[in-house]
Amino acid sequence: MYVTVKVEVEKCNGCKLCVLSCPDPNVLAYKQEEKHVVVNEHRCKGCGLCATVCPEEALTVSGN
Amino acid sequence: MSKGLFKISPGFEDVMPAEYKELVNNGPYGKDLGVSDLGTFKELIEEHPLCAGCAEALALRLILASLPNSEDTVIVGSTGCSSLLFPQVAVQNIHSLFGNQNAVATGLKRALRLRFPDKVKDVLVIAGDGATVDIGLDMVMQSWFRRELITTIMLDNEVYANTGGQESGMSPQGAVLHMAPLGKKFPKVNLPEIAREAGCAYVATISPALPRRLGKVVRRAILVAREIGPSYVQIFCPCPTNFKWPSAQVLQKIRDRQKEGIFKVREYVSPEAEAYLAGLEVVKQHDEEQ
Ligand SMILES: Cc1ncc(C[n+]2csc(CCOP(=O)(O)OP(=O)(O)O)c2C)c(N)n1
Ligand code: SF4
Ligand code: SF4
Ligand code: SF4
Repeated sequence: MYVTVKVEVEKCNGCKLCVLSCPDPNVLAYKQEEKHVVVNEHRCKGCGLCATVCPEEALTVSGN
Repeated sequence: MSKGLFKISPGFEDVMPAEYKELVNNGPYGKDLGVSDLGTFKELIEEHPLCAGCAEALALRLILASLPNSEDTVIVGSTGCSSLLFPQVAVQNIHSLFGNQNAVATGLKRALRLRFPDKVKDVLVIAGDGATVDIGLDMVMQSWFRRELITTIMLDNEVYANTGGQESGMSPQGAVLHMAPLGKKFPKVNLPEIAREAGCAYVATISPALPRRLGKVVRRAILVAREIGPSYVQIFCPCPTNFKWPSAQVLQKIRDRQKEGIFKVREYVSPEAEAYLAGLEVVKQHDEEQ
């Protein structure tokens, strides 16, 4: 099954905690110009750690 | 490796794999990047087969992002979950027989110093707790007694994960595991204390729940092992698969263990290592950023 990570960009405060907590590389990146996090869903394993650490509840992981 | 070596030769741009081009153009080689910059550059590691939510995978990713000199680093690994990840790593690495990692690293470091006397070549051991504290303890401690200039990093996932869940010297007392149903009868081995007594100039315990601090610790350990003496870093990264935790909770579990005082963040720096680190601009700069 495919994993979906939804980013509610207006909630993201740019703390990058999700980026630093993801056990898989090059999945999450912080877009400086847009001031929010982006996800490469093809590489995500759906562990849900990013959603757990996000202080703004900006991430939702589903479909693992 | 010379910094020019990884650059693509003129005329070959078209035929190089996209991943390689991406690494050369956007990767950390030759740049002073660290854990805080993650998410802004192409990482030294590709997709890997470790379990979803693996704390060991997170620790490895953070270690690779904090190498002070990735293009001139050689990592010596050992059998275990981490060895499944190394084929995807763009840093020179050697897979050694289970438990032999510090002996292999010793030979390698000595050979590199003879072959490249004017160059900094960092040799790093990264191995599981079974490989470090159980089967490899002899080689690990003898390398410290001899004051070999290598950094030893233990990925303390508190279990022999790759072989299905036997207890290791680092499993907590009472732990019931897939292949240790009666519960462990002894406490965790105090390897940081042993490392200090055995001659390590820098010893630290840390977890990936403190990513920036982990990066700082790894960097300091590698720098100390360049000039002063052996260094040891123990990374607390319990295995969610064997402890049967939901993958999303692993960092919370680490924090809980820290609150309970079962896992403590500690750092020991010998006076000589302290003076050496204080004189290094690269450390000062990174410490200020954290
Ligand atoms: C000489 C030798 N003995 C035993 C093994 C079997 N073996 C493979 S992985 C492993 C356990 C590794 O445990 P640990 O070092 O804690 O790493 P983890 O898998 O937990 O990351 C063992 C015993 C081996 N491969 N080689
Ligand atoms: S779900 Fe896990 S693998 Fe996917 S982006 Fe979040 S932390 Fe990374
Ligand atoms: S943890 Fe949440 S708020 Fe912080 S960067 Fe990630 S998505 Fe944004
Ligand atoms: S078994 Fe445990 S340590 Fe090994 S890859 Fe899976 S989560 Fe990581």
